[in-house]
Parts: sequence; structure tokens; C-alpha cells
Amino acid sequence: MAVQTIELKPSVPSSPVSGFWIIFTKNRMGVVGLVMLVAIMILAVFAPILAPYDPTTSEGIQSSDIYNAPSAEHWLGTDDAGKDVLSSFIYGSRVSLIVGFFAAFISIIIGGMIGIVAGFYGGRLENFLMRFTDTMLVIPDLPLIVVIVALTKPSLLNIIFVIGLLGWTTTARIVRSQTLAVKSRKFVLRARAIGAGNGHIILNHILPLVMPLLVVNAILVISLAILNESTLSFLGLGDPTAISWGQMLNFAFGRGAMSAGAWWALSTPGFGIVWVVLALTLLGHGLEQVLNPRLESHHLMPGRPVVQQEAATETSTGKYHAAKPIVLDVENLSIHYVSADKPPARAVENVSFQLHEGELMGLVGESGCGKTTLMMALMRLLPAAGQIVGGKVLFNHQDLTAMSEEEFTDVRWSGISIIFQGAMNALNPVRTVGDQIAEAIKKHIPVYYDKPVEERVSELLEMVGIAAQHKDHFPHQYSGGMRQRAMIAMALACAPQVVIADEPTTALDVMVQAQILELLDDLRKKLGLAIIFVTHDLGVVAEMCDSVLVMYSGVTAEYADVDTIYNAPRHPYTQELLKAFPDLSQPDKRLTSIPGYPPKLDALPAGCRFAPRCPLAFDRCSIEMPKLHTLNGGHIASCHLLET
Amino acid sequence: MPIGAILSRYLLKKIGWSVSTILFVLVLNFFLFRVLPGDPARAGVRDPRLTKDAIETLRVRFGLDKPVINCFDSLNPIKVGDCGVNPLDTQFFIYLRNLTQGEMGISFHSNRPVADILIERLWNTILLIGAGQILSIIIGVAFGVFAAWKARTSIDYSALIIGLVAWSLPTFWLGIILLFWGSNNGFPVGGKATPGISSSPFFYQAGDIAWHMILPTLTYTIVYMGEYLLVMRSSLLDVLAEDYILTAKAKGLSTFQILKDHALKNAMLPIVTIIAINLGFTVAGAIQIEAVFSWPGLGGAIYEAVGRRDFPILQGAFLLIAVSVVIANLVADLTYSFLDPRVQTE
Repeated sequence: MAVQTIELKPSVPSSPVSGFWIIFTKNRMGVVGLVMLVAIMILAVFAPILAPYDPTTSEGIQSSDIYNAPSAEHWLGTDDAGKDVLSSFIYGSRVSLIVGFFAAFISIIIGGMIGIVAGFYGGRLENFLMRFTDTMLVIPDLPLIVVIVALTKPSLLNIIFVIGLLGWTTTARIVRSQTLAVKSRKFVLRARAIGAGNGHIILNHILPLVMPLLVVNAILVISLAILNESTLSFLGLGDPTAISWGQMLNFAFGRGAMSAGAWWALSTPGFGIVWVVLALTLLGHGLEQVLNPRLESHHLMPGRPVVQQEAATETSTGKYHAAKPIVLDVENLSIHYVSADKPPARAVENVSFQLHEGELMGLVGESGCGKTTLMMALMRLLPAAGQIVGGKVLFNHQDLTAMSEEEFTDVRWSGISIIFQGAMNALNPVRTVGDQIAEAIKKHIPVYYDKPVEERVSELLEMVGIAAQHKDHFPHQYSGGMRQRAMIAMALACAPQVVIADEPTTALDVMVQAQILELLDDLRKKLGLAIIFVTHDLGVVAEMCDSVLVMYSGVTAEYADVDTIYNAPRHPYTQELLKAFPDLSQPDKRLTSIPGYPPKLDALPAGCRFAPRCPLAFDRCSIEMPKLHTLNGGHIASCHLLET
Repeated sequence: MPIGAILSRYLLKKIGWSVSTILFVLVLNFFLFRVLPGDPARAGVRDPRLTKDAIETLRVRFGLDKPVINCFDSLNPIKVGDCGVNPLDTQFFIYLRNLTQGEMGISFHSNRPVADILIERLWNTILLIGAGQILSIIIGVAFGVFAAWKARTSIDYSALIIGLVAWSLPTFWLGIILLFWGSNNGFPVGGKATPGISSSPFFYQAGDIAWHMILPTLTYTIVYMGEYLLVMRSSLLDVLAEDYILTAKAKGLSTFQILKDHALKNAMLPIVTIIAINLGFTVAGAIQIEAVFSWPGLGGAIYEAVGRRDFPILQGAFLLIAVSVVIANLVADLTYSFLDPRVQTE
């Protein structure tokens, strides 16, 4: 659904690396992690200079030095052998980093190769490699590492190899799925077509694209290797000749620090491990956010309050006259997308229309003209950045914009309901269709038994041409057309007065489209619904609608009854749209499309928004925004040419 | 094809996969201890405390006079042997046959059968992991949901930081710190029960075990809560941006109803997968916690066996842990297929 119409793309960087760096430095977590990691690396490299004592020798240590509390001489006290804890701590960073980096290096090479080979060559080889990977993934690695190290000599080299040889499984899986995704890209296929060898393709085309993910994964693998090393050392399987944090804890824990109350000997080494692992975790998290940015919002974030900051400058007096009473009266509605670091994007400005009982209004315009934003605002479903900044929405003479969120939930669905485009995603995949329809009924109509609700669900489904027994099926068991019908049944569940159909037939084939439209029109006549029909399809509008609102770049271009729009359009945009549409009465007419695109919301022209593409534009159009002119019979259009 | 048939085919596939993984573990476990120095069976025979008769009994029971497997009399050092021997007459087959009868060798340290020692310890580990998993899932998921719901607020950022820090904590160190604090504040210093409690009434004993479990379970919960929090948060953030959440909101459902009926089940699916994948890591945590708190479980057995170089225990404990993890993984997989209707028709 095209609700998020504003683009949140970062500014284009000059080179990939410097661009990456600029984005990365804005990520606070990643930067903190990197700084923490660099700090511990400095500690490791300059250990002999930074450490106040030499932890490798026990010269001059007396029995009275054991477990001394922190003092001016020993900032972090002494351990079970009377050695300075701070010095051992500083030297311990070396083992952690060495084991972490080298073991991870081995894991990444193995995992990377298995992943690329499996993903690239596919077939039986892939099957075999991935089964092996999955098997190794299930086997718990710490017990296996412990067993192997216990059976062999616990030297640093051994530990590095054992941890490295067992830590590649996640890498293999991630690299394989990335390789699969990259493999079928156009430039890889092209390279293959011009005869590049497999080795060349892997090295020059696949590897660069797998690399970013591999780096993020490597950081995770390093931190796991460090945790595994410290655990091994704590369990007494560390290299006896090397000072490591895990071993410091092993000695302190096993040699009476607990009963001596030597909290310094117990807590210090742990801080080191937490520091390194947290640094890597933050760095990895930060890199992942940069490489794979998430959507900034979700649908349950609180919406922005309605403000009336913009006094309506122009009021359109024209109202489309129909004999029936008005159910929905939208007056000068303006909507902005607000963001912290940019001026607000004016998505909809000063739009007004009236919907009568049983009326079908077409809302047309190109993509990005604010149609969906306008509809979402009527249901108060704007994304978190969207805000109503002026105007009113009167539903049965009640102002919807002035209602509290609690009051408004009662209007939703029972007063105004909506048929979304793309029903596949609009239905919850893990609940049955019938259940999702029943839910809407139960929310709005007080019922105490399931039976009448079940009957109503069956009746609704049959009304849209779906056999009632399908109500217990899941959305993925429906065809595209059935899902759209189910969406319509759902929209009618609480007998609403107004139904918004937001491009209900896109992504369906032509036959199904026609059926769905016919169904909507039938239901409207049978149930007396008022429908707002958002579409690109001018043919459908001509055939079905009573009135038409043409929007361009967030403003009303023209609003009139359907005959006027088709036979006497006054706005150049409407005229151009119609020229792009085939006319059965003039089969020889050339179809022309409008060159260019609607303007971006952050770069709106100063004058008329259509001026840059308008064939009739003159000087004034690029300077001054045209007013809404009321012509006879409620016909409204905004164009300087209409001034008399 | 009817759903039932598809589902049972899925079931069979999963079960088949688990069985082949268990077989792989059995083979790995056999050769690991024969290729690397420290064959428990041979070392056991050399134990000076055993009588001559006992050694002879053991030799026959574990087939030490037989070749390791066809073509190899020994793997460390490598001695090539006759390939034509009856496969049923090799150490490998005898190892498998002994396993089917629950024979895993004799502990060097206590001279008791490994199987007897480990089975009672398995239950202690399951008790600890079970309590810890349940608590960490409940707390992690709850915090994760709250963080995702309040996305981009200070609540969300605090939860994220708490999750990342908890994830980075070495389990054994957190255990040591909690034990240090607890032993100064009246908590037991370790073990599963107060000595001599076994003569007391049942409820008294159960209360005593629960009292001993508090600190180990707390350690477990804090460490694993972090990951569940992070996964739940990120999974729910994805789900809440889905179109069907907008549909639910348009239907007039309250935030609570949307979270409960539309978001949670969908967002929980990755958690089930994570639980399955994490079982291996879970065991790693259990080893550390049991080592610190002297909890008499399988992890504690591994810790003690490493210190005493008690290889039969080490071999048996590894086998039992690996097989349990594979089975638990199967259960998690099947739960997933039960929760997600889409899996059944894939």
C-alpha cells in the first residue's frame, strides 16, 4: 500500500566508502562500539607499557600479598598468587582478541566458502553442504569444544583451531542465502553470457555483494569466539601459559576469592569480557542498521494531533448537487508529513468534496498525488509522520477531526470502512478469513453468541460470490480475486454508510477486475452505500461514477459530476488525462501521454503545481498558485485561465 | 492433496532429518574419542584401581580386543587392519549395541555406570533449563513487545540497551557475581538441596530445591532474556508495519486487541525458530551455570569430568546433551508447523 509516499533516502554520497562512513558516524550505537573496541585494542597492543607490574613473573611476591584489597599500589587489588589484578587484566585483553580474531577468521573462511559454493553451484552439492551445515548447527558447540580441547592439549593454537573449526555454521547459512539472491541479478547473468568463468564471477561479482553481510556476521562470530574462549578458560581448559580473563576467573573462583571476599578479583576480568563483547555487539548492530535500514514507523505508533494551523485561504463554494442528503463533507482538508530535520511535506492542501448517500465518487490522479493520503486521513490512519493541519471532515454532521481516538474507533468500519489495494497483505496470513470478518462484526455489534455472527459471515461471503465453506480457509489458500472479494465482504460486515475502495483491482487480471467492479456497483445499488473509488482507470470512472475529483500533487485540479468531467473539462490536467485515455467514439484519435512526473513533495513549484508540465502554461502560472474557481453547477477547477 | 497428508509428509521429513542427525552424533561421538588421544574405554582398562578380573570383564564388554572398525585396528595411532572382519565384531558395532542397552561405560572417578550417573543428572538440567527458558521467554517477550510498541521512544532505547548488555554478559561471570552477592545475603552457596533434607516431608524438600534454584535460574533468565527481547522487538517491528495491522486498526480494534490478536502470534513465529536454534547455546549456558552453582546436572558433570579427566562421563554427557538438543529441536520445529498455517502447504 502506498501510504509511505515520502522518500527517506539519504543524500547521495560521493564514493561508496566515504558515503558509508558518513551514514555510519550518524549511528550512535555503532560509533560507541567502535570506540570501545579501539580502546581495548590499544590496551592489548601497549600492554607492556600500560601495565604497572609484569604479571608473568612472581618475583618479590610474598604470602601477605594474596588477595589484597585495591590500594594506591594495586589499583584493583591482588589475586590468589599475590599478583596485580590490573596488570593481569591488561595482558588478558591480548588472549581474548587474538583468539577472537583468529578463530573467527577460520570460521569466516570456512563458512564463506561453504555458503558461496552451495549458493552458487546449487543442486546436489548445495543439498549436501546445507544438510551438513544444519546438522552441525544443531549439535551444541560448547560441549563439543570442551570435549575436543579436553582430549587434546589445551594450547592457545589448539583452542583457536577448535573454536574456529566449529563456529562457521551461521556464516555458511547467511552467505548462501545472500549468494542465491545475488546470483540471479542481471549483471551476473550478463557476465556469464559474455563467457566469464565461475571463478571470475564469484570473485568479481558475487563476493563484493556478499561482503557487507559477511562483515556484520564476522563481528558476531568474533564475539562468540571470545565468549567461548573465556568459558573454556573458566572451565579450566585454557592455555596454562597464557594469562586470560577466563583463566583469572577460574583461579579466583577455584582458589578462595569467594570466601576471602575478594570482589575485585572476581569482578574485574568479567568487565573485560563484557566490554569487548558489548563493543562488538554495538558495532555489529550499528553496521546492520546502516546496511539494512528499517522503516522508521509502524501502524501502532500514536498519530499526530489535528491542528488548525492553516486558515483556509480559499473556500470553494461550489457543491455538487444531488437530491440525497450528504453523508461525508470534507472541507479544506490539508495534510502534512512532518519530519524533525526537514520542512513539512505538503501532501494534501485545501481539498474539499461532498459525498451523498448512495453516491459513487471517483478519485483520480497519477501516483503520488495524495489520493491515498487523503483517504487514510478520512479514516485517521495516517502514518506517524502524517498530520492533519487544517480543515474538517464532517461525517453525518459530526467533525471526525475533533473526535478523540476512543470515540473514533466506533466510527471506523461501522461508519466508514475501507477496501485496501493488494488484499494479500491486507489479510492476516495466520488467521482464517471468516475469523477476520467475524472479528469486525463482534467489535461493533453487540452479540453474545457465535452462531448469528457465523451466519452473517457466511451471508457476507456468499454475497460477494464466495462459497460459505471457504470461511475456514486461510488467505494463502484463496486466489487473488477471492481475496479481494473477501476484503469487500469484510468492508461490508458492519453495514457502513461509506466505503473507501483504494484501487481495489490493481494486481488483478482484467476479467477478475471487471467482476469485482460489477460486484461493487451492484452492492452499492442494493445497499445504498456511498463509495469513494480511488483509481487510475478513467474508463471505469466514466462507466460507474456519479462525480469525479481530479487531484494533482495534493491539490484539487477539478471536481464535478461525471458528465462535466468527460465532456467539458476545464482544467488542463483533466484534459491531458483524457487525451491519454482511449475513446470508443473516436477510435482513430491518437493517444498522448503527459510528459514528466508530478513534482516531489519536497520540491514543489512556487506557482501552479501543474505548470511545469502544462501545455497552456504562461508566465503567471509559475509565480502564483491559482484559486479554486466555481463554475456553474458545482463545477470547481483551479486554473488561471478560468479567470474572467 | 489433503492437508493431513501434506502435514504428515512434513512430519516424516522432519523426523527423518532428526534421526539422521542423531546417527551423525553417534558416529561423531565414537570417532572423536578414538581419533583424539584419551579413548575412554582403553584408559578405563588401565585404571590401576581395577582388579584383573574387572579389567577382563570390561575388555570383553567393550570389545577392546576387537578392531575399531573394518580396515582399522586402531585410529590413534593409526594401525591398518583386516577389512574382511565381520562388521558385527568391531568396536563400533559393540559401541552401538551397548548404547541400545543403555551402556555408556564406567566412570573412572566413581566406578559407577555412566548411564546411571547421567540419567539422574539429566533431569536436574531439564529442571534448570526449563525454569530458566520459561522465565526468560516470558520476560524477554514482554519487554520486546513493549519496546516495539513504543518504538523510537526512550522506553524502546532503554530496552534495546538492556537487551544488548544482557546478551553480552558471560553467563559464568554473571553467575559468580550473583553467587558472591547471594552468599552474603543468606542464599545457599550452591548445590540442589541442603544436606540431610531428604528425610523431610515432600513439600519441605521441594521448597528447599526451589530455594537453591533461585540464583541459577536468575542467572539463566537474565542472560537469555536479552536475546528474546531483541528478537521479539525486531520481529514485532516488522509485523506492526504490515498492511494487515492497518486493516485491523481500520476495523476499529483497540491497540490491545491488535497486539493480542494480530501481531503477537505472527511475531512469535521467529521466537519459536530462535528457541530451536538456541537450544545448543542454552546448553552452553547450563554448563557454565551448573559449574558456578555446583548444580548436579549434565553441565556440572562435564565440568567435573574435565577436572578429573573422567572421559567416559565426558563422552556420555556429550552424547546425551547432543541427542536431547536434536529432539528438542524437532519439537520446536513441529510446534512451528502447528502455529503457522502456511508451513503445511509449502
